Amino acid sequence: MAGDHLSNEEFFTQLTNLFEHNRTKGHGSIYLTQKRLSYQTENAAPSPTKVLDDPLWDTHPEQAVPVIIHASNNKSTPYKGTDRKSIEKIKISTIVQPDQLDAFFARYAEACKTGMSGLKKRDRKKGKKDKKKKKGVAGDVKTETKG
Amino acid sequence: MPTFKTSTEWYEQSSLLLKAYPSTTRITSKYRVQKPTPSKIKKRERYAAKQADKPKPEAASEAPDSTTPAADELTASFTLKTYEPASGACLKYETNKAAEVGRLIGNLSRLGRHMAAIPGATEDLSAPAEPMDISTPIGEGDVKMVDAAATDKASGGGGGGGKKKKKGKK
Repeated sequence: MAGDHLSNEEFFTQLTNLFEHNRTKGHGSIYLTQKRLSYQTENAAPSPTKVLDDPLWDTHPEQAVPVIIHASNNKSTPYKGTDRKSIEKIKISTIVQPDQLDAFFARYAEACKTGMSGLKKRDRKKGKKDKKKKKGVAGDVKTETKG
Repeated sequence: MPTFKTSTEWYEQSSLLLKAYPSTTRITSKYRVQKPTPSKIKKRERYAAKQADKPKPEAASEAPDSTTPAADELTASFTLKTYEPASGACLKYETNKAAEVGRLIGNLSRLGRHMAAIPGATEDLSAPAEPMDISTPIGEGDVKMVDAAATDKASGGGGGGGKKKKKGKK
């Protein structure tokens, strides 16, 4: 499970694949998780004495810590009476170094925005129409009562 | 397991939780697309029929299609969840609007800065929330003091009026 983290570049291509997969399938979920990277091999975990001295040591570490990002889809198994197919769970993860965090999240936001196409779009057309109308008539038809 | 009404509320609470438990808190966001169940489709059809029978108010008569979804339309949602396993705290926010995704990822980014313990990321929160507490004699620990106060919320400004100014008398 651990150990096969992708590079940030690769992660994004895989993530867009994941979203694309979801779109072609028509339904399903995508899980994205972020967490502080707590498993470190090179600088070993703090010694118990240190923890005793300062039980809140993890709230103010000396240097910034990398963040780990996971992404996965949902597993699916065939089910009688439906057209469900067996789909393997795809899990990807990447480690983001603290100095790359902002750049990463900028790309992440783009990837998510384009990927989550199923969400409701803002109804721009209608708003514009209303505005024009308002200008023309100068009336008080401000809010439409939605049924 | 509270679900918050607004994303800012979710963000504030999550950042407090993250501040108290920075190394165990995780944030999971779920994008979910669902096909409607047969009963849901029926329900929608019935609703649409009902709407069609109704006499419409004038304003809505232009664009009836945009408000009522097609009967077999997919439902999608985006859920944010902050979870801390040791305390069992779980904070949620859910939306179905595409316009919000950018802002929410922006929140995730800011919380990510908290997680990474990037200096400067933690200050914006603590400043307004904490009344000046002068009873702690520790000179060094600005950060420590704030953390302790955030962890136990019961300390709601106990010694409030204790601030005395010493004026130099001659």
